[in-house]
Parts: sequence; C-alpha cells; structure tokens
Amino acid sequence: MKLFLLFFLAAIFLIVLQTTFFHLLPMGPVVPDLILVLCVYLGLYHPSVGAAFGAFLLGYSIDIVSSPILGFNAFAMSLVYLAVYLCARSIWLHHPIVSSVVVLLAALVKGATMVLIWAIFLSVDGFWAGAARYVMWEALFAALLAPLVFALLRRGQHLVDRFTPVTP
Amino acid sequence: MLAFLRRNQIFFSSCFCLLLSLYILTAAARGQIKNEPVGTLLMWILRPLQIAGQGSANWIKGFRNHYDTLAGFRSENERLRKRLQTLEIERQRLLEAEATNRHLQQLLDFRSELPSGAITATIIASSASSWFQSCVISKGSADGVRKGMAVVTPLGVVGKVVAVTGRTAKVLLLTDPNSGIDVLVQRTRSRGIVSGSLESGTVLKYIKRSEDVQEGDRLVTSGLDSGFPKGLLVGTVIKVRKQNRGLFQSVEVWPAVQSARVEEVLVVGAQPDVAKK
Repeated sequence: MKLFLLFFLAAIFLIVLQTTFFHLLPMGPVVPDLILVLCVYLGLYHPSVGAAFGAFLLGYSIDIVSSPILGFNAFAMSLVYLAVYLCARSIWLHHPIVSSVVVLLAALVKGATMVLIWAIFLSVDGFWAGAARYVMWEALFAALLAPLVFALLRRGQHLVDRFTPVTP
Repeated sequence: MLAFLRRNQIFFSSCFCLLLSLYILTAAARGQIKNEPVGTLLMWILRPLQIAGQGSANWIKGFRNHYDTLAGFRSENERLRKRLQTLEIERQRLLEAEATNRHLQQLLDFRSELPSGAITATIIASSASSWFQSCVISKGSADGVRKGMAVVTPLGVVGKVVAVTGRTAKVLLLTDPNSGIDVLVQRTRSRGIVSGSLESGTVLKYIKRSEDVQEGDRLVTSGLDSGFPKGLLVGTVIKVRKQNRGLFQSVEVWPAVQSARVEEVLVVGAQPDVAKK
C-alpha cells in the first residue's frame, strides 16, 4: 500500500512537472517524458499485476491531460511495460547505464507505437519528418534523465521500506 | 491451466491493458466516450497542483527575466547593485501589475465585442506530451464551458475546447496537427484551413494554386467553423511556396497568438457573426 502511494505521488508529481515546469526549458514543444521513465522503472523493478495496471494508468493520465483522443498513451505505456518486463525477465538490465539504454530503447518503442497509432487514427500532413524528430529528442532526454529519476525512486523506496514494520 | 495463467499473470494483465487501451482508443475515436469519471477525478486532483505549479513556473519565468534584466549592471559596485536590485524587483512587480491590469482591461474590452456569455479563464497547465499541442484552462462545465467552444484572446484565436470536466477544460491549440480552423484571407477572401503541422509549424491548407496569397496577408476566421465568431485574427502568412505539381500551394502561417505566452483567455460559444477585429 505504501509503495502504491509512493508511485501514485511520484506520478502526480511528474505529471505536474511535465505540464508546468518543463515548459520553461528552451526545447520548443519537446517535453522530457519522465512518466515513461517511471513506467520503465516499474517494468524493471516491479514485475507485478499492479504495476502492469499502473503503467496503463500512467499512460491514461497523460491522455486525460494532453491528448485529444483517449487511449493513445495508455496503449503505448502498456506496450512499453510489457516489452521491458519481458526483456528484464530474460536479460540482466539493472545496471544504471544499462537502465539508461533501456529507457532510450523504451522511448523509441513508445515513439514507434505513437507513430503507428497516430497514422491509423489521425491523418496528418507532413507527419513523418516531424514524428522522427520528436521520437529522437524524447528518447534522448528520457535516457539522460533516467539515472536521476531511478535514483530518486530507489531512494523513495528505501524510505518506504525503512518505515514499513517487519512482520515475523 | 490455472497454474499456467498464474505463472504468466503479468503477461496476461499487460495484454488485457493493451486490449483495454485499444477499446478506449476506438471508442474515443468514434466519440462514444462522453462522461469519463477517472479523468474527472484525476483533473480534480491535478487542478490545484497545476495551478500552484503554473504559478511557481510563472514566478521562475519572471525571476529569470528579471535576472536577465539585471545582467547588464554587473560591473557596478555592490551597494548600488543591491539598491538597484531592490528597485528593480519593485519596478518589475509594478510593471507586472500594470501589464496584468492592461491585459485584463483588453480582455474586458474584447469581451464586450464578443457574444454575451464569454467566459474568462486562466491557463493552468500545458501539454504533457510532445505529440500534442494542448493546454488546460481553469474553467469547466460548472462555469458553462462546453466541448467545441472557441478559445480566444484579444490578439486572436488560441484553439478549441476538446474535453471538459467540472472545473477544468482541455484546449486543443491552433498549432496542433489535429486542429483545423476555417479561415479567410482578409485581402482576397480566399478560403482555407489553418492547422498545425509536426513538420513546419502552422500551415494554411487547401489554397488552390490559382488563388492570390502573399506574404503578410492576414487570415481571419470565416465564421463557418462552429464555435468561432467571424473575423477573429488567426495568423499572418509568412511563406508561400507554389510547387510544380499538385492542386494546392504550400502556405506557412505565423499564429496571431503565441500560446506559450498566453496566461488568460476567453472561451466563447458558437455564434453566427460577431467580431470586429
């Protein structure tokens, strides 16, 4: 329960960060996707049914706040979680640098998924060149910020563990 | 069988989430999702945080501008600099108050030109995703905001309301690739659609090659688009390119309103004819 609360608060904090403070950064319309980093963290360190639904809810929250059609990010995040979970089950991915690479790849997977869904559901002119640019920048920013977010989440988890009574 | 399901429960849960997302996506694309309780609850939680966050962000922005202003005085001695800093902060505060006052006065004047029932709102959050150009405003269905209403400022068109909760509303900005506003070229009365583009900013679409469009032409709402009063400034043509092939010319537009700099907006409903801009 405490862990759920931690991730819930982290998600709320990251959404507020992404919708307000990150727009101060001189990066044009590109917003660093820390929600994706949280989703990858769940996939790497929390293989559970709750985390799978958590990833879905993370994407759904972004849909609520940003996208004109619901379900875009929910689908992408669920797919990212599944991909990260399956990879983490067969390969050791827990080193900080490796985690950063995983986030980069996850961002590319999310980008590719968004492109695919976008192409199916929303017809837009001049889409491909712009999409490629967004995917690359988002992936790079997410990978760069991943170690910091991972460290903060791990620290938060340690604090939660410390205050959780040990059952005999 | 049960053991197999239990062993792969995370995999199946994720697959369920994927299917659920697809279902939501399809239903939303068909416009079948009307009332959405999770979204309403989330926006209810986020609203005060986003207002506080945006307030802090605006403060930081103001502070950064203030710092930039002060950068030129570095060579002066410490006492004068401190005094100047104090005066500058005070001046900044007064300028900000004056600018806000002027801006609100403009909004009030503009509001009187619009159909009755125009709602004043504050932008409390921007898009959380690079893929969509949207923002959240501080008024919702409880204040009379409805889906499809136009969002404007005295300078021109900002966007359109695409989703509403009790106390907030989501606005799809003019610069989003999924937006589309029916416009007229003010000089020649040629019609087209202004929309965002992932590739080249904001563009004017479906203008025939034979139409006379020049750089500097002002684009205004045609009034045929539901929600937008006729005659509101949408943008200015900055680049016209006629390719060797194709029916239409390629026109780039500089939006009248730079949404990143907007703080207060007016939400107006569908009215046949109004504006004088």
